[in-house]
Amino acid sequence: MSFCTAKTNVSLTSQDFIDIVLSKTQRKTPTVVHKQYKISRIRQFYMRKVKFSQQTFHDKLSTILTDFPKLDDIHPFYADLMNVLYDKDHYKLALGQINIALHLIDNVSKDYVRLLKYGDSLYRCKQLKKAALGRMATIMKRQAQSLQYLEQVRQHLSRLPSIDPNTRTLLICGFPNVGKSSFINKITRADVEVQPYAFTTKSLFVGHTDHRYLRWQVVDTPGILDHPLEDRNTIEMQAIAALAHLRAAILYVMDISEQCGHTIEQQVALFESIKPLFANKPLLVVLNKTDVIRLEELNPEQKALIQGFINDDIPVMEMSTFSEEGVMNVKTEACERLLSHRIEVKIKSKKVEGILNRLHVALPKPRDGCTRPAFVPEKVIEKRLEKGPKIKKKTERDLEVEQEDDYSLDLKKNYDLPADFKYDVIPEFWEGKNIADYIDPDIMAKLEELEREEELRVESGVYEKEEEEMDDEEKEIHRLAGKIREKKAIIAIEGRIGRSGGAPVMPRAGRKRERSVSRLRSEFEELGVDMSNKSGAHFSRTKSRSASRPPIKKARADSAGRVSSSSRVTPRDQSGIRNVELKAKAKKMGHKAQGKMNQFGKAGEADRHIAVKMPRHLYSGKRGIGKTDRR
Amino acid sequence: MPQNEHIELFQKRYGLRMDHQERQRKKKAREHKLQSKMAQKLIGIKGKIFAKKRYSEKVQLKRTIKAHEEKKTRKKEDGKVPEGAMPAYLLDRENTSQAKLLSSMVKQKRKEKAGKWDVPLPKVRAQSEAEVFRVLKTGKSRRKGWKRLVTKVCFVGEGFTRKPPKYERFVRPMALRFKKAHVTHPELKATFCLPIVGVKKNPSSPMYTSLGVITKGTIIEVNVSELGLVTQGGKVVWGKYAQVTNNPENDGCINAILLV
Repeated sequence: MSFCTAKTNVSLTSQDFIDIVLSKTQRKTPTVVHKQYKISRIRQFYMRKVKFSQQTFHDKLSTILTDFPKLDDIHPFYADLMNVLYDKDHYKLALGQINIALHLIDNVSKDYVRLLKYGDSLYRCKQLKKAALGRMATIMKRQAQSLQYLEQVRQHLSRLPSIDPNTRTLLICGFPNVGKSSFINKITRADVEVQPYAFTTKSLFVGHTDHRYLRWQVVDTPGILDHPLEDRNTIEMQAIAALAHLRAAILYVMDISEQCGHTIEQQVALFESIKPLFANKPLLVVLNKTDVIRLEELNPEQKALIQGFINDDIPVMEMSTFSEEGVMNVKTEACERLLSHRIEVKIKSKKVEGILNRLHVALPKPRDGCTRPAFVPEKVIEKRLEKGPKIKKKTERDLEVEQEDDYSLDLKKNYDLPADFKYDVIPEFWEGKNIADYIDPDIMAKLEELEREEELRVESGVYEKEEEEMDDEEKEIHRLAGKIREKKAIIAIEGRIGRSGGAPVMPRAGRKRERSVSRLRSEFEELGVDMSNKSGAHFSRTKSRSASRPPIKKARADSAGRVSSSSRVTPRDQSGIRNVELKAKAKKMGHKAQGKMNQFGKAGEADRHIAVKMPRHLYSGKRGIGKTDRR
Repeated sequence: MPQNEHIELFQKRYGLRMDHQERQRKKKAREHKLQSKMAQKLIGIKGKIFAKKRYSEKVQLKRTIKAHEEKKTRKKEDGKVPEGAMPAYLLDRENTSQAKLLSSMVKQKRKEKAGKWDVPLPKVRAQSEAEVFRVLKTGKSRRKGWKRLVTKVCFVGEGFTRKPPKYERFVRPMALRFKKAHVTHPELKATFCLPIVGVKKNPSSPMYTSLGVITKGTIIEVNVSELGLVTQGGKVVWGKYAQVTNNPENDGCINAILLV
């Protein structure tokens, strides 16, 4: 799940590019041409090569151009981050150069194809093709730098952490070495490096944590120093970009023990200088390293500074990532604040109507006024008190923590055997026999006893299946199910038989009618359905459509009740015929006439036939007007 | 270290394999086997490319080996006589006599005169009409053959308009009309793409000159204002002659040397 990548797999160096395209041209186009071929064929041969190379270059370069993300189309957070890391201008220039190369190659191909049309010998065409391909290769060679830069950008882009800019995020910021990475290590599974030197974290790190059954993103930033924006280096600018564009809850971490190398005054000063970035975001000031020194032990000036925060309505919390006290509280508090902030924002937005309409909290209406608390009988309460405090069993994990390096998992220690037998190694076979068969010395006796018991049970009828009384319906269902299973098996077998090794099959239209009403009737009767009184059914209607019937719809009639003739079109073989005998005669005559033609396979009157190819009146004689040189 | 560089992070925390160095060394030692396998197996165009690359590599290798060897050995210097040194018994003679001096002067003068029109390509192959023109058959039954199609690259001026097609005898197709030439300055060794002003002389025939046909050895006039040359008197040089050095119809471009 990445939010900003270049979609290509690997970018090529310019030399590889050229090699690949040229070898592809050599493989995918015809390779043989002789000088005795027609000149048009020779020209076509070489034009094809030039055009093919151009197409291949064009395709590859345009995939590069489309795969790299456009800085204007991605989320502003990623646009800013890319600007910080790769320099927007350089990036755009590199892509621009590739674009220019694309157009230049297209132009070269156009020019040389135009020239090839006037090539009059194989040698000339060949030289022109060589010049064209050479020119394209030179253009690509000049792009070596851009391609190299883009490859580096692509690799780095793929390594960026996948930060979703729209989901719930906690952003941790502060001076270097205050304990931001330790904090994120404590609440998430992100394994960020923690070292005593400043700027250990050099890029953004992301971890995930859970709160209230929701996924929360926690973003760790590199430390920020207190100097103006222009003096900031790339690493700090990443943190600034994250602060500026991600809508997240901000945790400003301070080190009150001053072990990071900066005093509390400096840290508060930094806070003031980056305060504009905290607008509209829930903010939390966290005092870290309270295991060394507590808030109460600070001297009054420093306490006053911290008090300043509280006066500004910014919550201040204490924690220590070393002793892990207060870490969970900080996380919970931050999550709660962010959640309420997000809900507020959503309520103010226009989309809230759609959501509120669908939300409905149902509370049961109280029946009467009396309360009904949970009831626990007194005896149970007494018993609970008697039992005393629950003895916590010592788990393996506790043992592991205790023994640290000396711990080894020993599964045999809980075996239910006398102590000297517990750790014995038991083989599986001994002298050709299974040891498991001889575990118990009385095993044969036990086996015989078991068998006797079993016989008794079988005799007494413990295992007799109770015949469930099925009513008629269930019996019917069972019967039908059996029939269905049988029919399915038959169809499967028939299908398998039907595939008789490659014999020619009549096309579907040529086969005799497979689906007919009679077949339907017979099959249904087989299944036991009563088909006697189905005169009005749909399937029966389809049969009787040969003779012309009046349509079901009512004929269109005007106000006087006269029916318009177009609603009742007579079919062609009946139009103009007075009665049934004449119709039969007409049909017979038609058949007779057709028969002879069919027999001799001659062209009929409908077959296109030009009897006279050169009628005399068109090909001879003088003309009254006009010339005769166009006949 | 960025968050998803898992391999590097693992290596940083737990180090490399115990036999890592050994494996690297062995892999390197096996490389020559792969090379020889490739050299034997590759056929066709890939084989040729590989052979070419390998050849240049070998040349480089041999050069470095030779350079190393030269450093080691010491060569004995054989007594070389510097040029122009004469033995002692010939020192007093005067070499050239007066007559010889005169004739050499005359020869010099003649050469200078001839050298006034010295061009980089003094002799070029003459192009026959059959090469330069192709007969274009016209008429309803394609019998009339008085039109000619120019098959070589040509230059037509800026305001050129064709004669009416019916009366046009020499057809110069648009694809073969060029306006720019790649001109090299012989001393600066730099090449510029300069617009052509006109065709001065085509060595094969004056007819070609009048048509503007450009073949190898043609003298063309190019617009050199791009170079920014200035005469002694302070005037800006605008046009210069250049001689065409390639066959433009085979290469699709006109390459020329500037005549300074």
